[in-house]
Amino acid sequence: MNLLKKDNFQRDVFLGLLVWFMLIIFYYILPDPGIHDIIQKVFILGLFAMSLNILIGYLGLIAFGHAAFFASGAYTLGLFLQSDFVLNLAGFSIPVAIVLAVLVSSILATLIGVICIRLKDIYFSFLTLAFQMLIYSIILALVNITGGDQGLMGGFPKPPFLGIDLGKPFDFYAFTIFISIITIVLLRQLIESPFGYGLRMIRDNSERPAALGFNNQKHKLIAFIIAGSIAGLAGSLQALLDVGAYPEWAFWSKSAEPLFMILLGGMHSFLGPLMGALIFEILNDFVTANTRYYGLVLGLVILCFVLGLKKGLLDWLLIKLNRK
Amino acid sequence: MLKIDKLSKSFGGILATDNVSLELKPNSINALIGPNGAGKTTLFNLITGKIDIDEGQIFIDNTNITNLKESEITHLGIARAFQITNIFSTLSVQDSIKVALLAKQHGLNNMWNRFKAHSINKEAESIAKLSGLTKSYNTISSALSHGDQKLLDIALALALKPKVLLLDEPTAGMGPEERWKMIDRIQKLWKKTKMTVLFIEHDMDIVFDIAQNIYVLQQGAIIAEGTPKEIKSNKKVIKAYLGGGKK
Repeated sequence: MNLLKKDNFQRDVFLGLLVWFMLIIFYYILPDPGIHDIIQKVFILGLFAMSLNILIGYLGLIAFGHAAFFASGAYTLGLFLQSDFVLNLAGFSIPVAIVLAVLVSSILATLIGVICIRLKDIYFSFLTLAFQMLIYSIILALVNITGGDQGLMGGFPKPPFLGIDLGKPFDFYAFTIFISIITIVLLRQLIESPFGYGLRMIRDNSERPAALGFNNQKHKLIAFIIAGSIAGLAGSLQALLDVGAYPEWAFWSKSAEPLFMILLGGMHSFLGPLMGALIFEILNDFVTANTRYYGLVLGLVILCFVLGLKKGLLDWLLIKLNRK
Repeated sequence: MLKIDKLSKSFGGILATDNVSLELKPNSINALIGPNGAGKTTLFNLITGKIDIDEGQIFIDNTNITNLKESEITHLGIARAFQITNIFSTLSVQDSIKVALLAKQHGLNNMWNRFKAHSINKEAESIAKLSGLTKSYNTISSALSHGDQKLLDIALALALKPKVLLLDEPTAGMGPEERWKMIDRIQKLWKKTKMTVLFIEHDMDIVFDIAQNIYVLQQGAIIAEGTPKEIKSNKKVIKAYLGGGKK
């Protein structure tokens, strides 16, 4: 068990694979499609929230337009799989579509980021929001391509690749969680690297780094692009799950979702947003089954966290356990 | 080492720096004094590129650094500590020094190593030792005493291995005892590292005690310069600054 003692990349890979295996065993122990659905959604939304937390928790920038990248990933994947390329690529379609979704989201993040990261505080937040609403309007306007307010129409094929058929519930479950866990392990490497400490440095004091011979803007832009790319990945997985893409995914309320998750789970612990996604999904599932007033319940729960714990659940637990 | 030639800067018609020229000798320790609002911090801001220069030129080791960016000037060997402590509140002393070291070496772009296990640890330790922060090496910056925060601010500048170190009121907000400890530390630092030091200080006892050379600034202009002995007996200085019953 020496492997577990050292906090390094190998340990994270080992732990990640362990969790993956355990969730696969769990799939067979508890053959309830409803619960499987919650788990894969928690990972997809968790990725989305964790990507936003690079900016909020580690860089101290409240981005309010993160759904733009979620939507760009979803639409890129959907449109690509609807296109004729699939006929030629067949077995490689889905991997190519996912890579393309991440790529397009990263390019979009570069374009938006170059402009937004020049601004600070509320101005940064508002500009990201403005760009997101621009993307939303574009999706609505390009009815011929995106299906407008109806979303991508008619679904798309999911050709099997490497023996994985995403049409089968188990394959989808195992694949989505695997991709998510690998991304989370890589993200932890990023956060614990010198690059990650550069983010914390800018968050704590954005003025001093220049006096240390450091270029904040470049660092912020790279972080923004990485955050956008991971959000794009989450969007592409969501599109695969729903076999479609919807303009609401680019609406401002979609950007609020990962913010809620970060608030619920905690922004100062690495896995806080993932825990927030779990709370969010459980609430979503149980509350909507019992009452129409979902928003009211969610609001009350967030109030309890903010006023009661004064932090997200995982942050609170870690402080209680004194392990932070 | 550091040469300033006819430097001027005005803010909205008010001359904050008025035709300032000075030259610091290598491995010297110099004081910059003057009443509040004389433009001492402005001069530091001009030297480090934090604000733009209106007129004049600045050289370090014969390299013209006029109008270079703050980060570029830092790379050419000028580092500063700030009047109002300017540190990274959630990082420990160790981590703060490490980010400063890595910032200088462009090491913060590295995504594939673990920061905690980075080979720079030894260098960080030696800078902490030099700054007298060994005891609080693992303390979070915001939990440090005021004096230690000031020391950390200086340690961040030292991490850049500067040729010229600018210290903006290193003893601000300290009691008499703490003050002398700080000065003692700075003197030791200067002797060990062979840097050229320019510091701003209000306590004349300290200035006369440790500075080799003193520059007196008033309303943006240098009205006198010289050794402590010369400054003590300079009539202009006595009238402008040391007079009025004060020492």
